[in-house]
Amino acid sequence: MLVTSCEKDDICIERTTPFLVIRFYDAVNTENIKAVSSLTAGSDEYGSLYEEESIDSIALPLNIYENYTDLLLKSATLTDTLSLTYARSDVFVSRSCGYKTIFENLELSKSTHNWIKNIELKTTIIENDTASHIAIYH
Amino acid sequence: MIRPHILLFIISFLCLTTGVSQEAKDSIAIKDKYGLRLGVDISQPIISYIEENNVGLEIVGDVRFSPNWFVAFELGYKDITTQEDFFNFTTKGSFAKIGLNYNAYRNWLDMNNEIFVGFRYGISMFDHTVHSYTPNQYGNYYPAQIIDTSINHNDLTAHWAELIVGLKVETFKNLFLGASMSFKNLITADEPENFKNLFIPGFNRVFTNDSGVGFNYTISYLIPIVKK
Repeated sequence: MLVTSCEKDDICIERTTPFLVIRFYDAVNTENIKAVSSLTAGSDEYGSLYEEESIDSIALPLNIYENYTDLLLKSATLTDTLSLTYARSDVFVSRSCGYKTIFENLELSKSTHNWIKNIELKTTIIENDTASHIAIYH
Repeated sequence: MIRPHILLFIISFLCLTTGVSQEAKDSIAIKDKYGLRLGVDISQPIISYIEENNVGLEIVGDVRFSPNWFVAFELGYKDITTQEDFFNFTTKGSFAKIGLNYNAYRNWLDMNNEIFVGFRYGISMFDHTVHSYTPNQYGNYYPAQIIDTSINHNDLTAHWAELIVGLKVETFKNLFLGASMSFKNLITADEPENFKNLFIPGFNRVFTNDSGVGFNYTISYLIPIVKK
């Protein structure tokens, strides 16, 4: 009839909480994108999201319940850690999507350099995941 | 699944069509009754009984000012909690509507039934309170947590227009049963900060294109003032 249970605002189609996008570059020719041949990425606590993949960019969820996220990036046998801190704010999107979290004041509080040569934050605000936020040189 | 108000709408149509027959008297000159008709929406107590956290009241009334025209109004309040996928919130407030009804039904003899069309201007003053939410993040890498809050969005006002179709049947002397359906469109509304008006008292659920629908089932009594 006139009111059915499947209105168009019942399904979440908008973009919600952005992921952290990391892109990998060559440490010598820093303009060149360079894939990691066997990358495992994730965290100690929650497990890995990428397992031994040959990839030049990754998207990882930031912890939306804490003001920090500790990431583990493993290339072959060498492991590096990245500790990120940020401020969160929850922004209302729509009836079906609810609230998304956006991140501000992104900082790299700690990092190791076993296979990673250099880490560069491209932005301090993560509002969307259409461009990369962090460049890693290796 | 048929929602309760749709079921009520169908039932009320069935009831009303059976109540149309009335006895004709032997009078020659038939006089129409003019007066104030007051009533209440009877679906609201049933909805409150079926659905938890849905409380409301709606008083309806009209005054006849010409053979086919009525000035009509509705006054009410609503206190409803809506559970969505990622949050829940309560909307609380009162509303008033005023407009005209045109009776398109030609009555036989002294019958007083109506099939009417009408329009209303509606205004509502209301508050929203968001009780809890889960931030929407794709996947379940971090186990979802419910964040308990009490975010208030107070002192909001909305204005809208309605088109109404409905019927009224005199079942006993001066006692009317009515059913109507309205189509609403927002004219203007205060936008809450970091939230949206997803429900407005008197307007009901606000769909994405700022439209809404409503169903009314009323019982009302005509206080006759003049006959002409």
